Amino acid sequence: MKKFNYQELVDSEQALQKRSIFWEPAIYEEELKQIFNRCWLFLGHESQLPQPGDFIRTYMGEDDVIVVRGKDKVIRAFLNACTHRGNKVCQAEGGNTRSFTCSYHGWSFNTEGELAGVPLEKEIYDNLPRERFGLVPVARLESYKGLLFGCFSESAPSLIEYLGDIAWYIDVVTDSAEGGLEVVGAPYKTEIPGNWKLPVENAIGDGYHVAWAHAGAMSVVGAIGSGRSDNVLGITANNMGVDQSGAVEIVMNTHTVLTTLDGQSGYALYDHPEPVLAHLEKNRPRVIEKLGELRGRQLYGSETHIGVFPNVQIIQGLNFIRIIHPKGPGKFEVWTYAMCERGMPDATKEIIHDHVRQTFGPAGLLEGDDGDFVEAITHSAAGYATRQMQGFLGMGMGRKAPWDGPGEASPGLVNEACQRGFYDQWRRTMEADNAYEVIGQTAPVAPVTAVVKELRHG
Amino acid sequence: MANAELKLAPTAPVSFEQEYAIGKFLSMEARVLDEERYPEWLELLTEDIRYQMPVAISTYRRARQGSTTLKPLFIIDDGFPGLKQRADREATGLVWLNDPATRHLRIITNIEVETTDTPNEFLVRSKFMIFRGRRDKDIASHAGWREDILRQTPQGWRIARRVVHLIERVVIDKNLNMFF
Ligand code: FES
Ligand SMILES: [Fe+2]
Repeated sequence: MKKFNYQELVDSEQALQKRSIFWEPAIYEEELKQIFNRCWLFLGHESQLPQPGDFIRTYMGEDDVIVVRGKDKVIRAFLNACTHRGNKVCQAEGGNTRSFTCSYHGWSFNTEGELAGVPLEKEIYDNLPRERFGLVPVARLESYKGLLFGCFSESAPSLIEYLGDIAWYIDVVTDSAEGGLEVVGAPYKTEIPGNWKLPVENAIGDGYHVAWAHAGAMSVVGAIGSGRSDNVLGITANNMGVDQSGAVEIVMNTHTVLTTLDGQSGYALYDHPEPVLAHLEKNRPRVIEKLGELRGRQLYGSETHIGVFPNVQIIQGLNFIRIIHPKGPGKFEVWTYAMCERGMPDATKEIIHDHVRQTFGPAGLLEGDDGDFVEAITHSAAGYATRQMQGFLGMGMGRKAPWDGPGEASPGLVNEACQRGFYDQWRRTMEADNAYEVIGQTAPVAPVTAVVKELRHG
Repeated sequence: MANAELKLAPTAPVSFEQEYAIGKFLSMEARVLDEERYPEWLELLTEDIRYQMPVAISTYRRARQGSTTLKPLFIIDDGFPGLKQRADREATGLVWLNDPATRHLRIITNIEVETTDTPNEFLVRSKFMIFRGRRDKDIASHAGWREDILRQTPQGWRIARRVVHLIERVVIDKNLNMFF
């Protein structure tokens, strides 16, 4: 029994999305259950937790989660909720610790999640079964090449099955990185008054808005600002024209990719791209050898937006990982982590880091524009008549581009293929009776025995 | 959280006149920004200005931040060209969020002045509240404190360094596209 008429909410044939999906509390509640309690969700990167005792706090849906490397070097994730009465056991956003001590009655938990200390235990309890009161672990935690994901569903497919074809694209970021991928310790965090789906599909596929919504920023940053070029990403200054030839939007069953295929335009918005471009060319032969011609020449260095459903975007070129945490139907937090190749010279890393801050940090020249329409789309759906309206994402429908990699490609980055893919996946996930259907497969006949895979590091 | 470079011991008492002039200068600067006179604001900066806003990371007092090879996180870390780029963006007339016009209001208070080792430079601490009102009821506000180095030049007071500290960790606003 489906809770809602999803055919009516997301009409894939006509590319229409009813605006109540951004506003209705009941739909949002169902999203927390169907999407955030069953999909693999991005937690962080192993480079944030190099030492035993290193921890970060994040969210899975609205659940507050601690990710910590234990004394045994294993990375685990727990609900940030005391097993006594439910207070948070950790209020810091990250750091290094030997234990998590609850501020209410002082129960304390070690970095492996075990209940390690109970004040006055001998005097007040008779045989408290401590083993029953460890922190509640997130059911599954797996790493894909350093990218940590957690999942609340015991019966969900493995992370690698869930990622499916998108892993082929993620490899361009993880495997090409000289010395491995490196993520800055702490993210930028901003709370925006809009529905979480809007910033996600904006980041994974909305090439159409770039030149117009960001017109002010686009005329002062990077190639246009410095006079090196009068077009960025195929879009001419002042939105006067668009060259759709060199880019594709690619939709897989579950996830999406937008990429420019030219091997360097990821750096088109940089004020000083030269050192980064030099690094790319120095590293490129190694990438070609490792990942082949197509990925080495056409994807490595391109502006590439990898959207992993539901809420993480890995963006090569702009070089950040972005998570959208839902905070009720009308609010979200956006967390932005700069990423770079560990083996890059420090000065090159600095250029990337500066660029992330300057463009998509909370005071970024481009970042500031998007919150406004995301808010308006969400909150004007408070009006009953407005809420009956549908958004239209029909651009580029039926247009196909030749593409030898996984997924179905549609030409140009001014295209709405990825956004359609996102809402189709949203619908599939909301309708799915079990966690396997989320990826468009039926569950194995025999029930899957949950295996909590632990990550070992020597 | 104070920046080490700015922790300078007073070398001599500050004259009443200088302290008064600095207070007037900061009020005038705030008004220039409130009135969106960005090219004029740029003239109040030295060419070698460094303007920073660090992120107020919430770690435990006893704990170090998780190790990373990257430098600390800043929301803004600009020299003059970066600030000019921000000002230029505002002046394009293409920032839709500011049309209808945004109403700005800055309150600068608790001004404390100290001398530094450089005779014509002063360490100036202040607290601020900044409000933006847009459209019907899109009101955002931020509070924090600043540590400035103000330089006395033949042309008048100039800002040579500014570190802006916000009290919020998660920025609760659609953007921080403004000068503090
Ligand atoms: S709620 Fe944590 S110790 Fe009581
Ligand atoms: Fe945008």
